[in-house]
Amino acid sequence: MESGSLQLNGISWTVFRMGETTWLLQPNTDKGMLDIIHQTAFLLEESDIQDLRDVIPAYESLTIIFNDSDIDLKKTLSGIDQINTAPKLLPEFHEINVCYELGLDWKEIEINTRLTKEEVILIHSSIEYTIAMMGFLPGFIFLEGLDDRIAVSRKENPRIKIPSGSVGIGGNQTGIYSLESPGGWQIIGRTADSFFDVEKKPPTKLKAGDKIRFNPISKEEFDKMVAKNG
Amino acid sequence: MGKLVVIDGGLFTTVQDSGRFGFRKYGVPVSGVMDHSSFELANELVGNPKRAPVLEMTLKGGKYRFETDSVVAVTGAQMSLTVNQENAPLNSGIKVKAGDVLEFGYAQKGSRCYLAIRGKWQIKEVMGSYSTYSGGKFGGINGRSLQKGDQISWHDSSSDFKLFEVPIDRVPYYSTKLTVDFVPGPEWSWLSKEAQKKLLNTEFIISSKSNRMGIRLESNSKIGIEKRDMRSSGVIPGIIQLPPNGLPIILMKDGQTVGGYPRIGKVLDNHMDRLAQLPLNGVLRFKKITEYL
Repeated sequence: MESGSLQLNGISWTVFRMGETTWLLQPNTDKGMLDIIHQTAFLLEESDIQDLRDVIPAYESLTIIFNDSDIDLKKTLSGIDQINTAPKLLPEFHEINVCYELGLDWKEIEINTRLTKEEVILIHSSIEYTIAMMGFLPGFIFLEGLDDRIAVSRKENPRIKIPSGSVGIGGNQTGIYSLESPGGWQIIGRTADSFFDVEKKPPTKLKAGDKIRFNPISKEEFDKMVAKNG
Repeated sequence: MGKLVVIDGGLFTTVQDSGRFGFRKYGVPVSGVMDHSSFELANELVGNPKRAPVLEMTLKGGKYRFETDSVVAVTGAQMSLTVNQENAPLNSGIKVKAGDVLEFGYAQKGSRCYLAIRGKWQIKEVMGSYSTYSGGKFGGINGRSLQKGDQISWHDSSSDFKLFEVPIDRVPYYSTKLTVDFVPGPEWSWLSKEAQKKLLNTEFIISSKSNRMGIRLESNSKIGIEKRDMRSSGVIPGIIQLPPNGLPIILMKDGQTVGGYPRIGKVLDNHMDRLAQLPLNGVLRFKKITEYL
């Protein structure tokens, strides 16, 4: 099928063929879309589908990639439609220690939000976020749930290098740069925790759908944690 | 144990194989060789499994000293190739002796060449692949391009390998002009009819900012697109993104896993090898087809 719709995990999805081996699926619903996408991504991976190569959950879509181009998508996914008997994704909770002192863009954030640094920290660390997705780069973590009051536009000139563990705000999103990388988000703090290790299987203990809360720590505590993590 | 020492890593030489699969949900690009057919051919010429790791060399190949007798082959871009300063053939198995120096010049036709060495390379796999992803600093040799002093070693299977060369009709000719076929992507309809026409009628130039992440295109005529909200969504190599500046980017092997720019099309997989060989300032045109073959 080139495009159309199909039933998957008890829901109707709009399907678009995006490549020889790749399909883009969008749930035909507005309600709880992110949760549906996470649950379905998990279900697909647990279902032992032949030749399934990659499943990429994102905010409003699910991209699935197969090893081969001669896949009959409807047939391949037809059995995966029993929401009651299917395995369920169990979100885990992670508390992440953040040293807000190590933020790089406080001036810009205070001007843009018209709030003090302390007020921004209080708001940012009081919310329970959901991991919406990982990517664009390894271990980059997009979080859903930022309070509109502390939304700040991206930097005019993106940085060439953002240190690993940086916590940032980009528009109405917040997230973590697990690895050192370029980027345009406003940096409000840094965590000493490491979320991406190529030696580990899987490379991160976090997964889409998990819950996160930030816990403010001092520079002294941060330094101690860095020392401890080696 | 076979071994080579890097005297000069050239412009950008990395270890690559067929890629890293199953980790895109963590943001890990597929990586792997840019020109798959040249890669498989190089391995075939030395009798390796067709997906064994090779060195991918970009624009200028560098200089390598072999510490042991070895069987090697070079495919892909036409770079001048010498063994101890004597011309050596491309697209053919070559026997080198301990102490021999293999030296590459600049690419004359094409952009990337592939060096295969007979044997099982002693490189650690990362997430199931030998491929270097320099953006994430992992894979290959220390997650980066080769530098002077780096070494690669391998278990040689047998030295009595019978050399052969590729029949001339299997050696690709690399032009500086290319038309690639694409199938419209999810956001194709965001382009006005006029903009769609413009895309198909424009000769784009390959920008020097192109790399393994993406081929960036330049042109005086920008492809305008209606600004709409788009939340990041999955992308793959071959996707043609259209950023607000109106200049398309074709995502390549180290391309990101998700993106927020409109995906106006996807270049056919079997045109990607040629695209990877198009040189800087090469000319590219798009041809729209209706479905994947």
